[in-house]
Amino acid sequence: MASPADRGRLSEQGYQLTNRAKTVALNINGKPVHAYQGDTVASALYASGIRIFSRSFKYHRSRGLLCVSGQCANCLVTVDGIPNVRACTERVVEGMDVRQQNAWPSVEHDAMSIIDRFDRLMPVGFYYKTFHTPKAFWKLAQPIIRRLTGLGSVPDRDQPVRHIRHEYAHADVAVVGGGPAGMSAALTAAGAGAQVTIIDDQPSLGGHLRYDVAPHDDLPGIGKSKGYEVAGRLKAEVEASANISVLSDAGAFGLYEGNLLGIDAGSRTIKLRAKRIVVATGSIETPLTFDRNDLPGVMLTSGLQRLMHLYGVRPGSTAIVGTTGDQGYQAALDMFHAGLRVAVVADARPEFPADLEAAAELQAHGVLILPSHALTRAEGVKKAVGAVLTRLDNGRITMEERQFDGDVIAMSGGFQPASGLLHQLGAGSRYDSVLDETVPMDLPDGLHAAGEVNGVHDLSAIITQGRQTGVEAFAALSGNGSGSAIQASQQVSASTTALSPLVDMAQGAKQFVCFCEDVTARDIAKGIDEGFADVQTLKRYSTVTQGPCQGKMCHRAFAKITAGETGKSMDETGATTSRPPMTPVSLGALAGPSHRPVKHTSMDRLHRELGAQMIDSNVWHRPRKYWSPQEEAANVRRGVGIIDVSTLGKLDVRGVDAPALLDKLYTHHFSTLRPGRVRYGVICSDNGTIMDDGTVTRLADDHYFVTTSTASVETIEGWFKWWMAGTDMCAHVMDITSGLAAINVAGPLARETLAKLTDVDVSAKGFRYMRSKQGEVAGVPTTLLRIGFVGESGWELHFPAEYGEHMWNALMEAGGEFGIKPFGTEAQRILRLEKMHIISNHDTDILSNPIDADMEWVVKLEKKDFIGRGALVAATENPGRTRLVGFIMQNGVVPHDGSPVVARFAPIGKVTSSRLSPTIGKGFGLAWIPVELAEEGKSIQILVDGKAHDADVTLKPVYDPDGTKLRE
Amino acid sequence: MAFLIGCPNCGERSVYEFQFGGELVVRPKPDATTSEWTKYFYVRRNVAGDQSEWWYHKLGCRKWFVALRDTNTNKVHKTSWPHEALS
Repeated sequence: MASPADRGRLSEQGYQLTNRAKTVALNINGKPVHAYQGDTVASALYASGIRIFSRSFKYHRSRGLLCVSGQCANCLVTVDGIPNVRACTERVVEGMDVRQQNAWPSVEHDAMSIIDRFDRLMPVGFYYKTFHTPKAFWKLAQPIIRRLTGLGSVPDRDQPVRHIRHEYAHADVAVVGGGPAGMSAALTAAGAGAQVTIIDDQPSLGGHLRYDVAPHDDLPGIGKSKGYEVAGRLKAEVEASANISVLSDAGAFGLYEGNLLGIDAGSRTIKLRAKRIVVATGSIETPLTFDRNDLPGVMLTSGLQRLMHLYGVRPGSTAIVGTTGDQGYQAALDMFHAGLRVAVVADARPEFPADLEAAAELQAHGVLILPSHALTRAEGVKKAVGAVLTRLDNGRITMEERQFDGDVIAMSGGFQPASGLLHQLGAGSRYDSVLDETVPMDLPDGLHAAGEVNGVHDLSAIITQGRQTGVEAFAALSGNGSGSAIQASQQVSASTTALSPLVDMAQGAKQFVCFCEDVTARDIAKGIDEGFADVQTLKRYSTVTQGPCQGKMCHRAFAKITAGETGKSMDETGATTSRPPMTPVSLGALAGPSHRPVKHTSMDRLHRELGAQMIDSNVWHRPRKYWSPQEEAANVRRGVGIIDVSTLGKLDVRGVDAPALLDKLYTHHFSTLRPGRVRYGVICSDNGTIMDDGTVTRLADDHYFVTTSTASVETIEGWFKWWMAGTDMCAHVMDITSGLAAINVAGPLARETLAKLTDVDVSAKGFRYMRSKQGEVAGVPTTLLRIGFVGESGWELHFPAEYGEHMWNALMEAGGEFGIKPFGTEAQRILRLEKMHIISNHDTDILSNPIDADMEWVVKLEKKDFIGRGALVAATENPGRTRLVGFIMQNGVVPHDGSPVVARFAPIGKVTSSRLSPTIGKGFGLAWIPVELAEEGKSIQILVDGKAHDADVTLKPVYDPDGTKLRE
Repeated sequence: MAFLIGCPNCGERSVYEFQFGGELVVRPKPDATTSEWTKYFYVRRNVAGDQSEWWYHKLGCRKWFVALRDTNTNKVHKTSWPHEALS
């Protein structure tokens, strides 16, 4: 019993991809459609009678299947919410939801197709010419144009997120294309011992041979065999080879430097690097240009062969065939054998190809064959119902027309090598007038090409060239032999193709060259008339070749028309630049899964237990606050607080030249720093701008401990090493950030707290400000630095990260009686701001130097040389126009970080940090303002939420201006 | 950008493991003129062709080296330790 999917089907054959024992149900626009396992969405829809697959980009013309190989954009549909899925390559899955797109209410009856009648209002480049005057009109027109054009809609936010995995692979030889040339090359390279990967965009190996039912004579080492039998034989050999791995359903979309192939394999993106790459991507059949050549029913002959032989789908009932070469005859014969009536075969060549078996057989069956005839018009409104053929005289169109009825208009405009990957890496091209094809040449090192991509179409020659190329690729692995087989014999007889006739522009307005973007032959001619006479500018002006097919369907006709209109040769006309991606690739496939590494300090668990609100600080997660930043800050000023500062960058610098290295990199002196002392330092780039700041502690004569800001440690490590590179400096720099945890204990009761945990003398006299000691704290070997970032007496404890929780707990317990509380980065920011301690790259930017940042005291110009000195000498002599100063608000407003400093509402500076000061109870902060205002007590205005507020400039910290507290 | 760079220490690796350090320039002597300093800060040869430049194997051995790269093709012809390249 015939299943519902059978109405549009041919009899079952062994070479078909479909399995008729298994039916699959899917929904198209909400209606059920039955298909077979192995069907694509397109074959299932076509078999069910659907002919209109989409509406075109600009004119909303109905479009049907064209290439049936994933090249063109005619069959884009939305599948399970994902737009722009190529129906002809997407395999059916039970329950799949397929929706047609870019039409309302449906592709059958699209209200927007009215646009097609107004094409005169939208000539080539209309968006450069119209809707612009008056200016406001574009604002009205733009959203309408945007809605009418385009391809599908972006999925809703609530669509489940699909993560496409990224994988990395390697091979000795990568072969792109699983047809006869690719498989032959893989077999000889693998046979010689290379590890080979075949990348094939089809579900099964074989390339065009899979739908080639014609017999071939004298195949090398094979003898006489049908195309699909040859495919099966080569495939079995490939599968038996231990050295070949095959990636099926995997499209190579880009070939990048270093022989890297970008491969879209659906649920994963593969980046494959190969020592040698064989491009055996075949060729692409191209459309003929004639009036209404885009009507559903007009298809490429190879597309019809795929429909029939791969999926067992009946194309229709009556076929009209137009061809420029032998290809059309075989397709016509295939349709004849499939039970279609072949009304006529029109061959643009003047002579009937008598020695072509398919042509002779068609003639024997009484099929009408008209040499010197071309398709000039398809008849029909939404679908093709017939076609007009016109006699050619010396390749020129005459007035002699003949009309035929038919629902399948098969066209073959010749083949274009699919050589895009080769050109992406710099291969050249030349027009071969015998082949009437543009073939690749001058391949860059590392690349080979084999088969139809070279313009070789004879199967024996393809197999031979494939084998030779495999041998050459293997030889090149070991440095023997060179280059490619591209200049290998191209065994093509001159009779296989004719120069496809040039279209007559007067024949009709709907001669589509570019199906993706709705560009007609007339548009191209008009573009040339308007002065865009070069393919590169014409492409940009007309948008031809810029659609999803990236020129695969249109470039050949585009180049021919341009050459004809400009009177140039094909070589002079040239080709547009080939760039990745070759085929449409979703952004998700390029992006891959989101990998966002996060670092946690060794005390992270305790912070979370305390309910800390965490923030991102570069790659780290840090507590922003525990309960209230104002309270946390007040507790530090009043008693004692602790903060996890493990995220500080830490560098260990050693060696006899370590002092010289630090003197060279910092603006301050460090060779004169005595062991056991700590000094604040600023690192500048050689043009004098601040890169980073931190403390430098001299642990021994040849040993320093350097801290950097959280985000900078890797940069600073590289910076240190760069200035050592190529010198004879004997020093070693090591990033020890992750090895050490760090806690800052600060506040008037910090000393009492710490004293309970260590034998190190922490008394005011025994452990002075900006000194360091090493000893045990809570039983852990610790480097203690007496510093005062938050403005209180305090110690930064650096100790092995393994003891993070232990140290934290010990301090919390010891400080319990003194009211110890943790504080987060927000409280720290308030506290340091009250001391006017800057945060580099927050209060400063890439243009700030320490002179203008009011930190002249860290710059020691008396040093003979240091990085940045030259520029800082100049900056001292000729200071910048703005300066970094403190400010205090006169009213209760607290500006934002980034609020503008204004004069009569014009910006003259900016706030870099601003908070409410717990000490003075007012908004305050740091700001860059013009030099002339940078004096104690001057008044400035700061714009906060649209209103200007008065503030007073101050050059002194609001808290403990003389710095006695942190020294106590 | 997908080219490979042969780190003198680690061998051939993806460019993504490296940090670019710019073309090789000679730092003026401390007492150089302002115009010499300006040239050093802001003027680069920016050749289309073979260029000697600094690279840092940031996601690897963290060593600086000098590469000779064709800026047209991104082909790295040669890499060497700074001592050899600068001598």
